[in-house]
Amino acid sequence: MTDYDYDDLGLVAGLEIHQQLDTATKLFCRCPTTERDPDDSTRSFTRSLHPTRSELGELDDAAVEESRVDREFEYLAYDTTCLVEEDEEPPHRLDTDAREVALQIADLLDMEPVDQAHVMRKLVIDGSNTSGFQRTALVAQDGAIETSAGPVGVEDLLLEEESAQRVEERDDGVTYSLDRLGVPLVEIGTRPDIDSPEQAREAAETIGMLLRSTGSVKRGLGTIRQDVNVSIAEGARVEIKGVQALDDIDDIVRREVGRQVGLLSIREALAARDAGVGDTQDVSEVFADTDSGVIGGALADGGSVTAVPLYGFDGLVGREIQPDRRLGTELSDHAKRNGAGGIFHTDELPAYGVTDAEVAALREAVDAGEEDAVAIVAAETETAELAIEAAADRAETAIEGVPEETRGANDDGTTRYLRPLPGAARMYPETDVPPVELDPSDVETPELLTEKVDRYHSEFDLEAGLAEQVAYGRRMRLFERAVGAGIDATFAAGLLESTLTELRRDGVAVGELADNHLLGVMRLVDDDELAKEGVEEVLSTIASDPDLTPAAAVEEAGLSGVSESDVRDAVSDVVDRNADQVESQGMGAFSALMGEAMGALRGKADGEIVSDVLREEIQKRA
Amino acid sequence: MNPGDRVRVDRAGVTNEGVLMPSSTPDHLVVKLDGGYNVGIERAEADVKVVESDVYDVDSAHSESETSEIEFDEALPTISLISTGGTIASTVDYRTGAVTAQFDAEDVLRAVPDLAGRANYRGRVVANILSENMTAGVWQDLAEVVAEEIRAGADGVVVMHGTDTMQFTASALSYMLDTPVPIVFTGSQRSADRPSSDNVMNAVSAVEAAKSDAAEVLVCMHASTDDNACALHRGTRVRKNHTSRRDAFETVGAEPVGNVDYDSGTVEFRREYAERDAVDLNVRTGLNGNVDLLKSTPGLDVDRYADMLRDADIDGLVIEGTGLGHVHTDLIPVVEELTDDGVVVAMTSQCLAGRVCDRVYDTGRDLLDAGVVEAGDTLPGTAKVKLMWALENLAHPADAMRRSLAGELQERSVPWT
Repeated sequence: MTDYDYDDLGLVAGLEIHQQLDTATKLFCRCPTTERDPDDSTRSFTRSLHPTRSELGELDDAAVEESRVDREFEYLAYDTTCLVEEDEEPPHRLDTDAREVALQIADLLDMEPVDQAHVMRKLVIDGSNTSGFQRTALVAQDGAIETSAGPVGVEDLLLEEESAQRVEERDDGVTYSLDRLGVPLVEIGTRPDIDSPEQAREAAETIGMLLRSTGSVKRGLGTIRQDVNVSIAEGARVEIKGVQALDDIDDIVRREVGRQVGLLSIREALAARDAGVGDTQDVSEVFADTDSGVIGGALADGGSVTAVPLYGFDGLVGREIQPDRRLGTELSDHAKRNGAGGIFHTDELPAYGVTDAEVAALREAVDAGEEDAVAIVAAETETAELAIEAAADRAETAIEGVPEETRGANDDGTTRYLRPLPGAARMYPETDVPPVELDPSDVETPELLTEKVDRYHSEFDLEAGLAEQVAYGRRMRLFERAVGAGIDATFAAGLLESTLTELRRDGVAVGELADNHLLGVMRLVDDDELAKEGVEEVLSTIASDPDLTPAAAVEEAGLSGVSESDVRDAVSDVVDRNADQVESQGMGAFSALMGEAMGALRGKADGEIVSDVLREEIQKRA
Repeated sequence: MNPGDRVRVDRAGVTNEGVLMPSSTPDHLVVKLDGGYNVGIERAEADVKVVESDVYDVDSAHSESETSEIEFDEALPTISLISTGGTIASTVDYRTGAVTAQFDAEDVLRAVPDLAGRANYRGRVVANILSENMTAGVWQDLAEVVAEEIRAGADGVVVMHGTDTMQFTASALSYMLDTPVPIVFTGSQRSADRPSSDNVMNAVSAVEAAKSDAAEVLVCMHASTDDNACALHRGTRVRKNHTSRRDAFETVGAEPVGNVDYDSGTVEFRREYAERDAVDLNVRTGLNGNVDLLKSTPGLDVDRYADMLRDADIDGLVIEGTGLGHVHTDLIPVVEELTDDGVVVAMTSQCLAGRVCDRVYDTGRDLLDAGVVEAGDTLPGTAKVKLMWALENLAHPADAMRRSLAGELQERSVPWT
């Protein structure tokens, strides 16, 4: 990937990190924060949304654009959701646990909590909130984190409700799942202090570490999302939504810089050619006998083909600005927002069944010369008209440079147009929830994960890699409980990290193992009621039958009740079978026989006892 | 320093700049930051500077909006929109933080653009109150205004009303008016300031119902939680049965009389209804205010209630009895005293569904002997409004409580129809 001189380009970036909290209940009702499978939904209902004005009487651009598309939203409800998620009951008071965790995060980010948090409604009318707004409150301001390239200011900490999960998108609407709606979420916004892709990633990593240090945040795919705001000096502020993986952040920043640089060079070329955008018009006649499936299909359904001449654009619509994304792709994104499948343009034609002759006729119909390009949309007539207008508007913007907008992150590190930047007009007070006074005085500062790693290393003698694995791992709290209960730290760490990983690789349903199962097994070993060698088998037994207690699982696995005399009998059998070897090699046969003895005992006995007994038996006969 | 000023506030090293908003607590300043968030800052700890005065006119933010052009289309029926206040036409009062009614009927057209093209509209405001503050006087004003609108040529009337007491007002109009056109009540359970408000579908459906052939007083509200159809309830049989759900309104003891499909605007009826223009307009708004509704519950202090009833100087009493229509036996002599004094005492049941029958148990028979009138399956709230009206307008109000005047008393118990 091309790397740029970011100083020279004047790169300015900021982050918005969204992290779900792992509280027992949702932010505004007492439902659990459990994730559900859409197949387990117990009921569903449909709604539509209409934009409303803020308390200052203004309408939000992004909300208005969203509402132009007439859509119906279907919601899946569960036995873990209630009327609050369905927007059929006013919100309850703000969850106190979530408030405590938010204040703890504010403390870790060195922020000042506000005196009184006001819950606001942020208009979101894409259906992801049944109410048509997201409830959100500014909780703290003015913090900072350290990165190797200098401090990054943290502007604000918001405590808000998570939106509903999108399950399916159809032509006329979207299906959402209500399990996620209302899960507490913190949003951390940094100042635009970031000036390189690497620093963006480092800042995100540091914030992620601080969040996880609370031990009260959700883990796993989708529970943390990063938005990145990027601009370069000549470009514009672009908000990129939904970067799922931390590792992608630097690539996203690089590619966005690349896109803005590309758009600026297109601007320069367009200026040199004195480019302009003509009027849109219907060109259905040109394609009356077309062999193109897309165009012919639209016309056969009674639709139209609309076109716009882009004077001076020839060759530029097809110019790549991100891997496999061109200026044409941007026009296409805007056409799609208005319901069309996309656009065709002359830089890519003839193709898709459109012939040379049709291209020539198209150029003639809209009075476009060789220096010019033409974009077309084939769709149902009203859609085709709206979509070509939207594409024409975007082409117009290309003459001016880089538009400010909200974009969505694609999996490959590129981005697509989503909507205009939202403004302050989409916020108004949530009057159903009274303001909350915040008292940061009794917030306990948690031990940072970085501090934990050091402590595990120095206090428990865990080697650095394992210490980090445990501290950053999902079972950190269980590890601390086990060690607190007197379990050997090295054994606990090994079981929770390596043993479970190995079992998972062997296809054991490790997900079935609850904290109490794991702690119980560790206790049995600690009490000498189970040999370390039997741990894997007992855990596998529990995983296949999670109703078993650890003690019952030991029975079930046939690993209970091995006395020292049983061990002696088994070892003596082994030595007898290998009498020749013992005679010739003496202690040299130990390793081979140890393996056989352990096999014979099937992990029922502690390795140290077996080895002591074996040593004695060999000595007796040698 | 006033709400609407742009201010800079320093507090504990943090500087915030934004628009000062009205605060609901005296100890805090509320500042709307440029990002749209409001924060509360302790007044005593804050150092405030006004950057610019009156950046926003906070109080009248809503009245700034442009007036909509309403064109008259001869091909369309004329529907009169009458506002009494309530959630369908309400907005947030940022001083108290509560939702209050601030819209007039014209604003409803602006708030619900989907109404355009369905009818020509006339707008009237009868009251601007929350429906819990409704009075019998407003019922009378409303009935007069509805009558004026019908005389002026309205082909149907839509009354926008707060949901708390909509069923009482609908009952009152059911008795006060003989109507040749539909009178359709509607409101919203989820306030109009949210994109998910039920006001759009309810208002659109109410207009469609007002254009229909059913010249009755109806209540038009969500049929289910879905935004796909409204149910039409007879004004005297409807009851708000949930505090917050969209489909809170239900016809008690029967299916709704009809429904309106939101997408198509089609109005369908399940049962017979009074047809358009079958009667001439007639208005009788007289009401007797000396009527009480008494709910008989265990633990009720019989002596205290007896004193209260004797001293109240009432003309009518509706009892919301237990079960088939009973009160504590010790109250029966008091009831007898009342009826002896000429007070009409009507019995309804707090079971809501089902018919009272005071011939089954001794208590009931004693009540009948004491002069109680059985109101059949009339809802208690409806019975109260009916008795208020009957005492002023009918020669034999007690007899009237036993029969149906406006669909409130069903002769056959067939709740599945």
